[in-house]
Parts: sequence; structure tokens; C-alpha cells
Amino acid sequence: MADVDEDAFTPSAPGGGEDQDLGDEVQDFRFLASISREDASIPKRGDKDFEPHGTALQSNILTASRQAMHNALSYQRMHQPKNHVVAHYHPETNMAYVPNPKGIHFTKVGSVLSAKHDPLGDDERRGQRLWLLPEETLLLLERGVLDVRWPVDLDDEGDEGLPMSLQGAYAMFIGDGETDTSSLTLERYLVYSNLKRTGYTVQRAASWNSNGPPLGPECFAPRSGRTWDVGLLETARWWYLLLSAKEETAPAEQRVGPLVPNRLYRGYPEIYRRLALINYYNPTRQHIQDPEFSLYPQLPRTEDLRVTYNIWKPNSPTFKKSAPGPPDFRIAVVNAREVDIPSLEQLDALLETTPYDPPKDTAQLYQKLKYGYKNVILAIVDQGIVSYLRFGDAAFGLEHLYERQRGGPGGKRGRGGGRGRGGRGGRGGR
Amino acid sequence: MSVPSGANGSPSDAKTASTQPGKRSQKAKARRRNLAIHAKPLPLETHPLPAFHPSNPISLLRLCYAWISDALFSPTSHPARDFVGYFSPETRSVHVTDPRCARILWQMGFFGKGTLSRSEPSWLKREEARVREQRMKPKGRLAAEDWTNVRREERRMFKLERARLEKEKIERQRLIEAGDLPPDEEEESTELTAEPPPEDIPKLTTEITVDAPVVGGHVTPPMDLQNGHINGDSKRLRPTLNGTLLPAHDLASQPSSPLIVRSPQPFPGPKTVEEEEAAEEDEEEESRGRAIENQEHLQLTFEEAFFLVYALGVLTIHPAKRRDLSPLSVKFKPQPYSTIDLLELFCQYSSFPPQDTVWISPDEQFLLNYVAYHHFRSLGWVVRPGQKFGVDYLIYQGGPVIAHAEFAVLIVPAYTDRYWNTPGGRARRRVYEEKDWWQLHCTNRVQSRVLKTLVLCYIDIPSELDMDFDDVIDVGKLMRSYKVREFVVRRWLPNRSRD
Repeated sequence: MADVDEDAFTPSAPGGGEDQDLGDEVQDFRFLASISREDASIPKRGDKDFEPHGTALQSNILTASRQAMHNALSYQRMHQPKNHVVAHYHPETNMAYVPNPKGIHFTKVGSVLSAKHDPLGDDERRGQRLWLLPEETLLLLERGVLDVRWPVDLDDEGDEGLPMSLQGAYAMFIGDGETDTSSLTLERYLVYSNLKRTGYTVQRAASWNSNGPPLGPECFAPRSGRTWDVGLLETARWWYLLLSAKEETAPAEQRVGPLVPNRLYRGYPEIYRRLALINYYNPTRQHIQDPEFSLYPQLPRTEDLRVTYNIWKPNSPTFKKSAPGPPDFRIAVVNAREVDIPSLEQLDALLETTPYDPPKDTAQLYQKLKYGYKNVILAIVDQGIVSYLRFGDAAFGLEHLYERQRGGPGGKRGRGGGRGRGGRGGRGGR
Repeated sequence: MSVPSGANGSPSDAKTASTQPGKRSQKAKARRRNLAIHAKPLPLETHPLPAFHPSNPISLLRLCYAWISDALFSPTSHPARDFVGYFSPETRSVHVTDPRCARILWQMGFFGKGTLSRSEPSWLKREEARVREQRMKPKGRLAAEDWTNVRREERRMFKLERARLEKEKIERQRLIEAGDLPPDEEEESTELTAEPPPEDIPKLTTEITVDAPVVGGHVTPPMDLQNGHINGDSKRLRPTLNGTLLPAHDLASQPSSPLIVRSPQPFPGPKTVEEEEAAEEDEEEESRGRAIENQEHLQLTFEEAFFLVYALGVLTIHPAKRRDLSPLSVKFKPQPYSTIDLLELFCQYSSFPPQDTVWISPDEQFLLNYVAYHHFRSLGWVVRPGQKFGVDYLIYQGGPVIAHAEFAVLIVPAYTDRYWNTPGGRARRRVYEEKDWWQLHCTNRVQSRVLKTLVLCYIDIPSELDMDFDDVIDVGKLMRSYKVREFVVRRWLPNRSRD
């Protein structure tokens, strides 16, 4: 039985958990029959059924399930006359505008453009007119909230234009730009609609179709302030380093080893400090540089991996449409059929654009390492299936495990509750 | 373990409940013991000074004494004689044959793996336990591998039992539908399926471990593996491999027979073939003497061996003893390999088939592995190979017997240097294929299934030009020219991150 909350499913927002796990389970759609009722509860999935065993019970269940699915699909979706919203397609910008936005859906999508930017000019209706981006229009149309009309001749006053079909909308909005980076690809739309349906507030990031704006100071590790106590600490550290200089190995010793010569040592940390040899990336030292700075200056800066969407949690207190504030997550959309897992320079260029977000100092070792100093979420779209991976810029080299208390974390450390589908959970050996 | 199967109600529950705290303290005890055994993270000795407490003047004396004795006798960190290993080209590893050295290398830093064991060289212990069991002595401590076998057997039986119940249910449904079984009889027929509630199945099935072997028409009663008692439970239908039921018909005729006959002696019936064989073996053991010769040795991977030689300097590696077995022109010398020899040798043998060249490329698999290995080892992690989870390394805090590994490390070579992006450099890359998303998803799924976190360890490879050494390779310079950067990868679920 899968975790229920992973695929939480409410009658008002169907499609919540359609991302990954449907294929793992038997698809029993009988629950669909009960959704229209008032007292509908969250449906539970049944047991796995592998093969037909010829009982009438099984075939009845299958038939009922099919029938329920059929009924659900053949349900005629209609616009409610109460909240009937008409939008007009604007071919020049490939956007749509709503002259009279009303309803809950418009609180978080669309934007009112300034007099300078509004393609229709500054008339008396401008302040009310809401412009919708292609993905916003498409999703609202798909949900039956919006009635998009094709443009009409200006001479014909009374005509409202023909309604745009879903197929027409897909044809107009998907792949509207010249290149993949500038247009709404199907992958980008899938991620957008998936996140929207899960309840997030989604906005295009500034690096939607370009390299994005120059990096702000929030993308870099802050320099420690030069106050007197820091100066004192620095001096103390220098003295410490001078006194403990014998612990570091000289290059001559490193030539053929051993790094740890046979002599008297007072403790293992002393030995481990002699073993330090491999360079590692230190995210806390990436201070603000001139804009042309790159960690890999020998290579042309890559732009193929960029943050596509900024998203806010459903009940984000900071989000306002006029001033969205820092997003909760940053999503970069990747087409799994076209690119392989990112190379180091691609990942570096991508993470460079995300803010410096170090783990809390008080966090446990494992939490600290898992959180990382910078992070980004890749949405990998493989033929319609979206899977999200969070990449955290961990710095193992900063955590000197040998200086910690030995013994390791005690007790059992399960991750989350409610695991265990069948008897195969656990770590599978050490 | 041996709960009478008839009484699966409250008495057994009470019993398990009462044993729970004892079990926990036992676990804590085992943990403390393991911590004591593996207190030293490296096979080197340190001599810490005793702590000085201002409130306790004697501690000053102790401190002085330690100081003076250290000054006089100057104890050292390394063992008196280096550990000896033999390079084995066939298995592409280094063998440590001295059991004392093997034990030290395992206990102090978890290096290597027993050739006949899963990880810790425990073959001798298992073998002794087996022999002891054959002699029907009270059971000794089981090795980890034995527990695995017991668990596997339990799981297999559980699955068979589950399959049987399901099959039975379907069969009954079919009968009901065919009209042979009136639905009102369901009460009676569900009794059988209801008898072992789902939670109890694993517990119960531990009893039915050995099926009754039928030898010449004679059914010998099943014998419990662990306690050696005879299980004469008549009600249970024993599942067999093909999933059909083997009704114990001759026993079923006596429903009042005692459920479990505890007996330290084997059933005194006619001996089966197996028993006779076992007896023969037993006699062999007796004639051979009580001590079993240890046939196991410790097997070090190239990275572990190189770390012990180059970083710690506690191991010397000799060439394989038999020259004819080494397929390549391995420099056969009676004296041990030098560090540079080893570097070349390991690079040669880290690909298959081994290359017969002395030219070392900076993206040699061995070098990448060693850089990652040394990096994590030098930070204090215990690094073990992670093939069985589809990754390169598992890193442990403390060691595999202390705590589970939290991180699984996958090495990704990074060719960021301009040289590697010129046509010539591209052609010289050894790791051509980039990992695709399917592979990454598979690996990540496996890790989340076993509650580990995937770490992509990108290793920035220097260009070949940087490796321009005059005559002898400078290992330190070579190692310092790599750069490591780790990314922690976890699946992100939109549904679970909403608030």
C-alpha cells in the first residue's frame, strides 16, 4: 500500500498524484464512481493483481472499474454560467487577455501590464485587463475555467469571436518561440501544469529565455565582517596554524608517501590532518566576484541549463502578485530524451544563479550534508512523465568527521513513517 | 523462537513482550562491544596524554608519568613489522593471508573483505558454529551470514504461506461460484485462513523450516533447524517449493499428539542419507582434530591497498607467488613493490583486460577511485565498496558494524579542463559515455529503497599536460591536481513539500 498522503487526492483537485506511482499499483478506478458524491473520501488503492484467475469476482471488479473509468471520462464538463470568463486571444504577442477577470483562479495568474507595455495601449479598461501567458491560458482552458475567443474583425461590433478549442490552444501555444529556450515547450508546460495542479504558485523565472539578470550578492557566500573579534580569531588561528605546522605534510613527504610517518601521535585527528591531500570545492569561499568570473574560466560559459520556474508553496505568506518575493523552490526543466545528466560545468553554471542558502549551524551532520549550501530542483521530463530531483551543493570536505565524537548516530533512524510495502523494506544489509 | 504453534494467542504475546526489554539491553550491549572492538579508526596506534584535572592533583602525576615514559621509550604509531599483502592479478586485489593482520585491518578501519565471507572474515567462526551444531551441542553465536540465511528462509516460508493462502481463497471463491460450496459454509472454511492472522505468519512459519524428507516411503518427522526439536504439528500443512500442499496425512490421524516434542537427541529412526553423510563428516572432523584450519584470507581492493601503502605506510605488497598465473609482464621481483610500482600496476589492472602500457592517463579508473577514496577516508569516513547498491562507494560514520551507511557515492568524471574539450583531448578521454537519466533514476531509486542518500561525486580531472613529471611520478602532486565536488541528489516530491 503506497503512502496515502503522497497521493492525496481531493475531489476538488483531481490529478494530484498522477506523477510517478500509478504504474506501481493496480489501477482500480472504481473509486471514481464515488467522487461525485458529497461524502466522498480519499480512495484507497487495492491489492496488486497479477494475473486473471478466472473467478467471476475478479472479472466483476475489473468490469466495474472499467465502467467507472469510462463514466468518469465521459462526464461532460461544462462552463458554469455563474463564473463564465471570456478571454481574447492576441495573435501579435501570442497571449490572451481577460477584460473582466473574476473568480479565484485569477488571484495568482496573469498580470496587468503598464501603459507602456500593454499591447492594446492605454485605454480606460487597461487597469482591469489581465494578460495571460501561454501556459496560464492553456491550463485555465484545460480546466474549463476560461473561454478563449479567436480575434474578430474590428468592424463587426456585436461578434464575440469563435471559441478556441483545446486542440487549437495547444497548436497555438506549445512551441511558440523560435528556439526551445525561448518557447513554451511541451516539457515546460507539463511541469507547469503538474505543479499548478499540486497547488503551487508558479511563475516564469527571469532566466526563462536568456542567461538571466547578472548575479546578485545573494548568490555568493558572504564575507565575514572585519570586526575586531574576527580579527582576533584570525590572529589566533594563525598562531594555531604556526604552532601546529608540523601536522601538515610537506610536498616532499607526499612524493611517495607515507603521509603518516612512524612516530608518536597524541590522537587520531593529528593523523587525519596529515592525510588531507585532495582539493575540494568550498562553497563558503565563493565570494562575490566580477560578473565575468567563472570557476571554469577555460570553458565557454554554458547556458543550456537554467532555472525555468520559480515556485511558491500554496499557502506562502510572502507571495504577492505585484511583489512575489523570494521563491520557495527553483525548478529547471530538463528533457530526458535530449540531454544526459549535467556535467560539472553545467551544474556549476546553474547553481551559480541560485542564492546562497547554507544549512543551519545547529543542524545535525547528516541534515547539514543533505541540505547543501546551494540547491536547485531539476524537473526531468521523460515523454510526459515528470520526476523531480533536488541537487544540493554539499561540501563533505567542510565536515571533519574525525573531530566529532566517535560512535556514529545511535538507534534506528527510519526516514519518515508509514514505509514498508510488503516485507522488503529496510536497508538491505549494512 | 520456539513458541508452541497451538498457542498463538495471548500467552505468546505476553512472552514476547516480556523479552522485549531484555533484547534491547542485549542490543545496547552488543553495540557497546562493537564500539570497543572498533574504537580505533585506523590501523595505527596513538598515545594520548591523560587528562589533567586541576581539582585532582594525582592527575598531574599521571600526566608527568605518561610524558616521561613517552619520552624514554618513544612509542610509535606503526606496528613493529609491516603487514604483508600479495598482489593477485587474477582477482585484481591484494590478499592478506596472515589472520592476525587480517583481523587488525578489519577491526581498525574496516579494510578489506573476507574471501569466503560477506565482509568481515568470519568463515572460521561460521565453520565452527556449523560443526558445533552438527554435534548437537547448544547453539553458539551465529555469524552474520547465518542470520541472513535464517532470515531468508523465514521470508521464503512467509511468501509460500502467503501464496498458499491466496490460492486457497481463490479456490474457494471458484467453488462458491460454481455452486459446489454454499456461501453459508464460509464460516467454517474461513477458519483455516483466519487461523494465522497476517501479523503472525512470519512468527509461525519459523517453525516449519524443514520439510519432511520422504525416504523410501518412510516419513521422518520434521526437525527444527535451530533447536533440534521435532516438530510434530499435525494441523499445519507444509508448503513445498512448487506451492502445492503436502498434507501430513500419517500424522494428521493423531490430532492429540503433542505439538512439539523437545528433544536434544535426533529422532532415533532409520538414518536418512543426509544424516549419514553428516555423521561421516563429523567423524572426519573428529579425526582431523578439533581445530579447523582457517582457509580464508582478507582481500583488499586496489584503493584500500594503495591507501595502506601510500597514506599510512603499514602494508608492503609482494608480487603474486606464482609467476605463470599473471597474464601480463608484471614486473616480477622478489622484493616488494614500491609506491610508484603499485600506482602503475593498479592503473594497468583497473581496466579489463589489463593494459600492457606504462603510460598513465589522468582519467584512469584507478586514479578516479583512489581520489574519491582518499578524500572521504581523510575526512574520517569509513569507505567501503558499494557495488551491491549500484554505486562506487558507501561511506559510513564509524563503520559498518556501528551504523548504517547514510550516503552512497557515485563517481562522475568531469572533464572541465580546456584540454579535454579539444578534439585531441576528446579522443583521449577514457570515460566516453555520459550517464543518462534512466541510470541515475534507477540508482537513486535503489538508494531510497535502502534508506541511503545518493551523492554524485564529480572529480575534476587535470589535463595530461599537468602530469608532466620529470622522471618519477610525484604521487602527491598528482593527487593534488584533482578537485572533488559533491552533490547530494534526492527525489523531490511536490506533494510532500507543500508545507
